[in-house]
Amino acid sequence: MKRQLPLLIVLVVGIFGAAAFLIPHPMVRSVDEVFRNDVLRIIAAFSLVLGIGSILRHHFMKIKRKAEHWPFSYITVVALFVSAVIGLFGGIDPARPGILPTHIGGFSFHIQTLYTNIMIPLAATMFALLAFFMASAAYRAFRARNFEATLLLVAAFILMLGAVPLTRIIIPPLPDFAEWILAVPNTAAKRGISFGISLGMFATSLKILLGIERGWLGGGGS
Amino acid sequence: MNISTDPWVWIAAILTLAVFSFLYRENPFYRFAEHLFVGVSNGYAITFTWHRILVPYLLNPVGHGQKLWLIPIAIVGALYFTRFIPKVSWMVRFPIAIVLGYSAGASIPRSIAATVIEQLKATIITRASFADVQQGIWAVIILIGVICTITYFFFSTERKGALKPVSYVGVIFIMVGFGASFGYTVMARISLFIGRLQFLLGDWLGLIR
Amino acid sequence: MTAPDAVRNGFWDRLQRIDRRWIYLVIWLVVMIPLLLPFSIKPKAMPPVEKLFNYIDTMPEDKALVISVDYTPDTQAELHPMAIALLRHAFATHRRVGVLATAVYGLGLGEEALRQVAAEFNEKAVSHEDSVISGEDYVFWGWSTPFLTVMLGMGEKITNVFPVDYYGVATESLPITPRIKNYNDIGIVMSIAGSSTPLSWVTYAQTQFGVRIGCGTTAVSAADYYTYLNSGQFTGMLAGMRGAAEYEQLLEDKLTAAGSSLALRYKATEAMSSQTAAHIAIIVFIIFGNIGYFVTRRRKS
Repeated sequence: MKRQLPLLIVLVVGIFGAAAFLIPHPMVRSVDEVFRNDVLRIIAAFSLVLGIGSILRHHFMKIKRKAEHWPFSYITVVALFVSAVIGLFGGIDPARPGILPTHIGGFSFHIQTLYTNIMIPLAATMFALLAFFMASAAYRAFRARNFEATLLLVAAFILMLGAVPLTRIIIPPLPDFAEWILAVPNTAAKRGISFGISLGMFATSLKILLGIERGWLGGGGS
Repeated sequence: MNISTDPWVWIAAILTLAVFSFLYRENPFYRFAEHLFVGVSNGYAITFTWHRILVPYLLNPVGHGQKLWLIPIAIVGALYFTRFIPKVSWMVRFPIAIVLGYSAGASIPRSIAATVIEQLKATIITRASFADVQQGIWAVIILIGVICTITYFFFSTERKGALKPVSYVGVIFIMVGFGASFGYTVMARISLFIGRLQFLLGDWLGLIR
Repeated sequence: MTAPDAVRNGFWDRLQRIDRRWIYLVIWLVVMIPLLLPFSIKPKAMPPVEKLFNYIDTMPEDKALVISVDYTPDTQAELHPMAIALLRHAFATHRRVGVLATAVYGLGLGEEALRQVAAEFNEKAVSHEDSVISGEDYVFWGWSTPFLTVMLGMGEKITNVFPVDYYGVATESLPITPRIKNYNDIGIVMSIAGSSTPLSWVTYAQTQFGVRIGCGTTAVSAADYYTYLNSGQFTGMLAGMRGAAEYEQLLEDKLTAAGSSLALRYKATEAMSSQTAAHIAIIVFIIFGNIGYFVTRRRKS
């Protein structure tokens, strides 16, 4: 029952999801709309619990076991609680504040301010590090060992040079040639690959609906 | 030089430099920034999930005596909490089943239509493809490339006879495609770094007008 | 020094073993210096960008532009200039705009883009018609989850998907709402994303409701999306910072030709000189890396 009932739910709800596209009857469509707008939305919102709970459990365990770099786990936990309190009680629009004041004089600590001045810089900079790792990898690992690798390299060079405006002055036909590479041979290769991916995803979705793929059930419970 | 006097810009700049310090070597400043990011981003998600989903779609209607049938739905959603209670953790399968089932079912007919049938229609050559002769020639090349690429990924039989050269042509197309992706990936990664420098040099130090 | 030591300590060997932090320093300088001393070259728009620009420019007046902020802070350097350029284009041509986010972390970026561009236009406005007013000229619907609820629900009735906007105001009460009820009132949905969300828009919104989809994407994904451009499922595409710069240039050219330049900062165009220098540096790195590899390999053999 602990496994059969969820598998039955997946099948029934899945067939309903597919049927709603295939059957244009107004009653089916209106039930589908209510299901999406109310049921699915609320259940999906609660799924945040999984992520937050996992993070908190991970960091509490690190603190309890005094694992490597455990003091930093306090930063995550405190930052999570402080920003959640500010957001929940301070409101999300500075023009419509909540019960918690979110500024001291001219210094604001509204959730939007935290987003703009903490989240954006940190997230953007973490991804900006990839530029350096990519450059280092290109220098150390990108080798024209055979004809195919050389072909890849040449195509990459043409695209890199074609992507910048200066090339149009130095080698006028290059940007258009780069665009042709993207529009013709690249399209052919990516389309062939995407057919395989699409059919694979279709097969996986079908396996989930039919209960053949059961990895999402996790362990435990018979 | 026109250095910013906004304390938050200074905080953002210091956090940016803390993350960049990882390039020299891992250090406590980077680790602090990393942990701070995880905490604040989750607090942000909690905020908006509460204010823009749970309050308007659940608490407000139920609080006004409307849509009381949402209460059992909310209970099903709350079953996500059972993930952290070992004795009843199996109950988390119910809300997952509903979301996963609908998503999988809804995607099947639509993604077949969008990613297989429409793409097949675009690959097939008709007389209309040659309305512009040049575009018609490119369409033929694309058709050949798609067939050869798919042939390359066919591993159920030994590559001999006609299959071998066809697969090799597929390899050529794939290498050109991956080269194009790599070239654009270089552009993407550099752009992300340029964005940060525009902030540091422009918004913080005022060196870029 | 013995012969093997000479091989190992030769110039190319040392270059092959160079500390990666020197490479990082070169990249830092190569990107920073052109930002401080830019050499500006106007980008020329490629066909995917031109198609998108021309479509939005010539959309019927009763059709709205919808921008879906599907990106997050990690890719905002490439994608945020696209949102800004699209909003500037829409407001300059007096189009109705709807903005939403399918990722919660994109909300703040959408709000920031609207606030910035609305302020730019309102500073120069001399009449009510020139102003850009929330609820009248644009609506920021905010975020909802999961994304297929949004994409499918907007085909029926947008106010069912977003009964309140980002600011908590009932969407039914907004003056703009009767003019953007569902996809029938929308000329194009521009999905600006660093993920596969544009494909989800095609799969759910376009397949069922036939709405046009445009794509603004990171350069990483752009090469993959050419198949959808080719099939016509994407009306046009902005690829990375270069795509944003090309769109900015088209907009500037159009407004200059009409005698009314916005005279604003175009971040993507400013970045092109750094982009050029960095690309050349990466190519030089790869060439040097390969020369060193072949020289040392030949010596060892």
